[in-house]
Amino acid sequence: MDFELPEEYRMLEELVANFVADHLLPLEPEVLAREAVGVGAYITAEEREALDATSRELGLWGLDAPESMGGMDLPAIALVAVNEHVGKSMVPYVLPPDSPNLRMLDATVNDEQRSRYLEPYVRGETVSAIAISEPGAGSDPAAMKTSAVLRGDEWVLNGRKIWISKADIADHFITMAVTDKAQGARGGISAFLVDSDTPGLSVARKIPMLGGNATYELELSDCRLPASALLGEEGKGFAPMQLRLSTRRLEMATWCIGIAQRALDMLVEYAPQRETFGSALSDKQTVQNWIAEAETDIHAARLMAWHTAWKLDRGDSVRREISMLKAHATEMAWRIVDRSMQGFGAMGMTKELPLQQMANEVRLMRIYDGPTEIHKWVVARDILRG
Amino acid sequence: MKVLVAVKRVVDYNVKVRAKADGSDVDLNNVKMAINPFCEIAVEEAVRLKEAGTATEVVAVSIGDKACQEQIRTALALGADRGIQVETEGAVEPLVVAKLLKGVIEKEQPQLVILGKQSIDGDNNQTGQMLGALTNMAQGTFASEVAIDGDKVNVTREVDGGLQTVSLNLPAIVTTDLRLNEPRYASLPNIMKAKKKPLDVHTPADLGVEPKAHLTTLKVEPPAERQAGIMVESVEQLVDKLKNEAKVIS
Repeated sequence: MDFELPEEYRMLEELVANFVADHLLPLEPEVLAREAVGVGAYITAEEREALDATSRELGLWGLDAPESMGGMDLPAIALVAVNEHVGKSMVPYVLPPDSPNLRMLDATVNDEQRSRYLEPYVRGETVSAIAISEPGAGSDPAAMKTSAVLRGDEWVLNGRKIWISKADIADHFITMAVTDKAQGARGGISAFLVDSDTPGLSVARKIPMLGGNATYELELSDCRLPASALLGEEGKGFAPMQLRLSTRRLEMATWCIGIAQRALDMLVEYAPQRETFGSALSDKQTVQNWIAEAETDIHAARLMAWHTAWKLDRGDSVRREISMLKAHATEMAWRIVDRSMQGFGAMGMTKELPLQQMANEVRLMRIYDGPTEIHKWVVARDILRG
Repeated sequence: MKVLVAVKRVVDYNVKVRAKADGSDVDLNNVKMAINPFCEIAVEEAVRLKEAGTATEVVAVSIGDKACQEQIRTALALGADRGIQVETEGAVEPLVVAKLLKGVIEKEQPQLVILGKQSIDGDNNQTGQMLGALTNMAQGTFASEVAIDGDKVNVTREVDGGLQTVSLNLPAIVTTDLRLNEPRYASLPNIMKAKKKPLDVHTPADLGVEPKAHLTTLKVEPPAERQAGIMVESVEQLVDKLKNEAKVIS
């Protein structure tokens, strides 16, 4: 058994750590300040362009994109190391192109869709969003109501989608819709590529979320699509959607490991300096317990992430592992960030330190892509079935 | 022109080192290791010479156990063409390093040898100078600028009180100071390419050297802890304390 990353991935990890330290963290105070005055935790178009240019120059573009499209086609195990560092910064920037839709598109596109959607996405020319949840149908896709009906040679979509990220800037939406109600989630749900300028598709409202984030609600009203908009096979949209969600869940878990590690590092640096009642905070047993427990939790989550990625790269099913990891990593990060904030006292409550924003981001991730309770249910059900 | 660059595996400069409890050495257990920052500057300088068309080949050499191949790979990812490891065990002192490097120079016949002025672990600052003496090659130490000029190299040196420029006949030895350049990151495509670059392993015997220790480490201990500072009431009090307590002004 080998617990060491191959040398080239260790060097990649180092490169990404340097990128985060030299290019992302310097932008963080400004992002926190923007969030504090209520205009959102965003980066400007110029800042994004500069980061994109640096990512390209360093070869950090398309890390898991197919080699045929200029990507590096790296395995999941390499991305675990990368995303832990990317997660540490509160600057809303992921190394492009964002992996989840890439994975789903790569698994489903036909030749025409490849050149029209996937390739420009990998090149960074387009923004891809996904529309799954609906008012009243989040974790339970069987409750999905948005319908797609084939009329002649056109698909007609009707329904509402909610909690959609990037709807304000997306060029297209991978939109999940029911094509056969009787079949339910297995066999009755299909995926469609909906261009954002399609008549009948509109952004109904912007929904402000925690930490200066926002999602959107979409309305599809007699939204007519050519037959070629069907992504993958009719009725078989669920499996590639799960692949997409698994990619994001693994990514989120590793971001959470990065966040938890940073929160712990901050506490470990601060606790010996802070004196209360005649001794350093780090001399108090409670704080020592926090540190030991945090280190243990992070270590466990990291090993789980390595193992899950390793299985994924072997082509094994990771359904149970992904659920265990996503639940564990988000929950442990929540606990560790909270304790670090507690250790920092009033300073930990300020919007000058990144801790509160780390808490916001982790709080969102305990819900996004499946709440903790759903993932635990998946694990338990899987075990009880035997 | 062939350039030979020496790289050393050391504790990463961000690590707060600790002495072992028995005082025998620095505790390297679970500690992140990296290429010595001065060596990284040396690699960068060599790669820039190659990019400028002045150098034709850059060879990176490291002396140590198998682990130091990681630092050779880093040098290859930064742009060196091939690597050489001289396999040794345990700590190797500057004179032995200089003798081994002399052996590599005899094999490789480089026109220019670039080394860090010192490594941040031992801070000896001896290897480059010893190598100059052993090989009879000209040396330009503490370089903040290196310019090849025909069969000469002009080296601007950071010396006490200012800068000094020396002109050396090639082949020559240069040791780098901090301000010579700012090393680049190894980009991912170059990291991947480095995997395929050749890396040869030599033993000291191949180079006709018997590593012999002349130095013994007696004790490693942490520096005395700094006393807490105090706030002074006035400039007069500050001057008084500097004069009479710290005795740093008179």
